[in-house]
Amino acid sequence: MGIENLLKSNILVTTVDAVVNWGRKYSLWPMPMGTACCAIELMSTLASRYDMGRFGAERLSFSPRQADLMIVAGRVSIKMMPVVIRIWEEIPEPKWCIAMGACASSGGVFDTYTLVQGIDQFIPVDVYIPGCPPRPEGVLDALVKIQKLVEQDSIKKRK
Amino acid sequence: MNKRPEIEEIKARFPESYVRDEEFRGDISIVVRKERIFDIFKFLKEDENFLYDYLVDITCIDYLKLNEIERFAVVYHLYTHKNNSRIRIKALVPEKDTVISSVCSLWKGANWMEREVFDLFGIEFIGHPDLSRILTPDDFIGHPLRKDYPLKGRGERENFKVVK
Repeated sequence: MGIENLLKSNILVTTVDAVVNWGRKYSLWPMPMGTACCAIELMSTLASRYDMGRFGAERLSFSPRQADLMIVAGRVSIKMMPVVIRIWEEIPEPKWCIAMGACASSGGVFDTYTLVQGIDQFIPVDVYIPGCPPRPEGVLDALVKIQKLVEQDSIKKRK
Repeated sequence: MNKRPEIEEIKARFPESYVRDEEFRGDISIVVRKERIFDIFKFLKEDENFLYDYLVDITCIDYLKLNEIERFAVVYHLYTHKNNSRIRIKALVPEKDTVISSVCSLWKGANWMEREVFDLFGIEFIGHPDLSRILTPDDFIGHPLRKDYPLKGRGERENFKVVK
């Protein structure tokens, strides 16, 4: 009874990256940074009709320490931006960020003294969702794009 | 058409404060000077005939480039539960002397509303218990709802403190 026979029928050979990323991409825990009306669309995306749970991301993490995806949904003022940066830094690596809607991506219609003109000036954004607010399909599309980014992640790349 | 008794009373009791009164769709506004504003409110609140016991809102108008006597007007909206009626008092505040007396001791709800007017228009309320900024960050310079404040700011949205 050689071990070779068992290997043939029960063991698959793969890389750690592939397994880890496969698990990670179907169990993203988003941190909702909902500051405005986009957060309402985000709630709709999570609810039964669009059901973000189908993509494995239904468990919102209201603590940044357990999250791995931040969704900035809504306009961010200059008084709020330091808080957003702090929360972003509290999320452990690896982490991804979605700028949801026109305001988070570029300031949107609020080209005024009080609004940050795009959060990407201060935190790295992986996927931008256009729209004011974006439809839930847009959020799901961004989530799939984040999953593709997660696939490309590698333990070797990180220090 | 008969004028509301509040107008006649204020005209009679505070002749040096009264400027004019306006009516729009049944709502009256009385434009007054700022010097005796506290006495006017004390009268409106405590007089048996009126009892304006509820301060609905305090806001401010910047009349820059609009031919008004003074640049600013602090606007008070009052409501009386006794007579179920509303009144609007506009207190004119000149640009050189942006100071007005606080009404916090009459209505406690005035506290945050006066802080908001101070923050956004730079009107100083004498007698306010804690006159500090309420909406903009604590280190903000300027009063952004003044009409001569640049819409895109003076670089606030690029330079601000980052929490570390």
